[in-house]
Amino acid sequence: MSEAAVRVSGLRKTVHVGFRRRPVEILKGVDLTVGPNDVYGLLGPNGAGKTTTVKVALGLMRPTSGSVALAVEGLSHVGYLPENPYFYDYLSGREFLGFCARLFAIDADARRKRVDELLRDMSLEQAADTHLRKYSKGMLQRIGIAQALINDPELVLLDEPMTGLDPVGRVEVKRIIETLHERGRTVLFNSHILSDVHELCSRIAIMREGRVVWEGAVAEALDEAPSLEDFFMKVVTA
Amino acid sequence: MARRLLALVVVLVCAGGVVAYQVSRPARAPADPRVFVPSAAFFLDFSPSFRTSAADAYYLSMVQYYGEHVNGDGRLDSLRQMVDLVTRLSPHFTRAYMFGAFALIDAGRPDVGYALLKNGFVENPGDWHFPAYLGFFAYRYGAGKDKDLAAAGWYEKAAAIPGAPSYLLRLAATLSAKGGADQKAIVMWGQVYLGGDKYVRQKAVTELDSILPKDKAARLKAVAPLYQTMPKADFAALTAELFKGYAP
Amino acid sequence: MNQVVAIAVNTFRETIRDRILAVIVVFALLMIVGGLWLGSISLGEQGRMMIDFGLVAVTFFGLIVAVFVAAGLVHKEVEKRTVFVLFSKPVSRSAFIGGKFIGLCGTMAVVLSGMGIFLFALVWIVNRQPSWMVLAAVVMVYVQLLAIVAVTIFFSTLGSAILASVLGICVFVAGQLSQNVLSLTRLGKNPVTQVFSWVVYVIVPNLSAVDVKAGVVGEQTLAWGQIGLWTAYLLAYVVVVLALAALVFRRKEF
Repeated sequence: MSEAAVRVSGLRKTVHVGFRRRPVEILKGVDLTVGPNDVYGLLGPNGAGKTTTVKVALGLMRPTSGSVALAVEGLSHVGYLPENPYFYDYLSGREFLGFCARLFAIDADARRKRVDELLRDMSLEQAADTHLRKYSKGMLQRIGIAQALINDPELVLLDEPMTGLDPVGRVEVKRIIETLHERGRTVLFNSHILSDVHELCSRIAIMREGRVVWEGAVAEALDEAPSLEDFFMKVVTA
Repeated sequence: MARRLLALVVVLVCAGGVVAYQVSRPARAPADPRVFVPSAAFFLDFSPSFRTSAADAYYLSMVQYYGEHVNGDGRLDSLRQMVDLVTRLSPHFTRAYMFGAFALIDAGRPDVGYALLKNGFVENPGDWHFPAYLGFFAYRYGAGKDKDLAAAGWYEKAAAIPGAPSYLLRLAATLSAKGGADQKAIVMWGQVYLGGDKYVRQKAVTELDSILPKDKAARLKAVAPLYQTMPKADFAALTAELFKGYAP
Repeated sequence: MNQVVAIAVNTFRETIRDRILAVIVVFALLMIVGGLWLGSISLGEQGRMMIDFGLVAVTFFGLIVAVFVAAGLVHKEVEKRTVFVLFSKPVSRSAFIGGKFIGLCGTMAVVLSGMGIFLFALVWIVNRQPSWMVLAAVVMVYVQLLAIVAVTIFFSTLGSAILASVLGICVFVAGQLSQNVLSLTRLGKNPVTQVFSWVVYVIVPNLSAVDVKAGVVGEQTLAWGQIGLWTAYLLAYVVVVLALAALVFRRKEF
């Protein structure tokens, strides 16, 4: 069994777009390794292939070649928050989390307890029985994080988790990520907010045009540039 | 604000125009006596699931068509095709046959009505209404001296169907006698006597008395077949009435 | 199994909360108005007209709900990206398709029950006696629509929701004409036409075989044994179509 929580080896992904099914190579040989208990940041400009890499890891897309190996067996121990999430707006927060818990075959009592716990942790108790269509962007983001944690996952993948959050919300999410790390969980998240990456991540990978152009510890990056922003710009414009 | 007002005025003018036009149209649009009626074959080839629905829709259409024209221009040019369509799609729709047959009288085609009822009876042999109405049609619209016997035949058939009213046999017997089939009439009146109450029995005796010869020997010969068709006690009671006043 | 049940319950909630039940109310109003109107123009055949047109209305409304809701079930999840929430969890594509189908079956049962019971009560009032066959006919309409739901879900895995709806309606119409296709297999002289007719006959579900409308109004003697066999055929057909849908959906990427 691999020691790494996530090991991506030579990952390529080609999609066919348009009426003529023109092939477009999105991932051109991605290699990265996420260690157990890492808080790992996946960075890159828009269109670099970050979300696609995560989707392939989750089985939402099939690789054209290469592989993605997860230390955990199947998706039962994985949690995922998609970018700009959309949920079932006809469900209340409580119903939605209950539904997600049921998909993990969590029994009724445990389900109830877990849902209450997450609603409390995400400060959504007051809105628990309100339909999601009435939730603000920030509330939706928080319920999204809650559903990603419903099964108490070993590996958590968060795509732009801070999007739409006010400063209070962002502090709460950071606290959650820190708590996950303290509890020995592995977190991989995509983000454009480099200050958050700097604060939370131990390791990062920078992608550009379907490849990983740099991977290493945040401390290593800061050895080469005065700030993470400068390092990032240096790598992506090289 | 001005634009909104203008939009409102336009909408109101259009709405007013729509209502005024509708209200000013004649209450009853002149209807063409000749309408398109698809062939039954088209629907018969179509799904069996919707045949009865199509039949019902055309039945309603047929009733409306009849109502529009019978008291109007009196022209029922397409009635026959409509009736044919409805009854072919729904052969057990008895009301359609009945309505259609009588409506065809108004269309000047009682012969077609008669044929329609005959088809209906083939499809619905357990319904006494068909032969009963056929008897009526034969009597009322038949020609020649055999029409009474033809009607009597139909009434006799109707009377034999379970659930048929008792008067049908009386009608058959009366018409048989009128048509000259005295022997048949005698047997039928015997059946009427069997199935009736005291008033019907009295009627049967009166009718038999008028049919039977006055001569005792001939009378005896004429009632002899009743001995085969009636229980002994009833035969005895009937003949006692028929031979009252005759010497023993 | 848990996932199938969870998705089915969620689908049921989704469709019921989509104000689908308003269909029952519209149907009820239509039947009341229609019934009063029929009473005045049918020359005493109000009961028969009510049964016949009522069952056609149940079929029509049921078909609309079945096709348009089924077409959107899969498509909506992909469009709104809720598939990411679903398939990032241990949920198989087959469980998703199965759950969606079962959930919509539940909704269809509620809608058709509502319409069926209302029609039954109305016919009872008009005819002054209950016509249990009306309820049996509604059950058979439900069986037909199960096949259409399955077929529409299958088409929705292949293309857009609109295309799936249109094809679902086409299959319903074709299913009513199944007997005609069978005739073509026997009457065609060209072997290519015959083979083609056979293929079409096998692929298109024979919906008219379980339709008992004609029997309810006394036009047909119903052979319940045969109808039972055809019902089993349709349920097996549903299983095959859903399996195909799951197979196609397995290849989909999001």
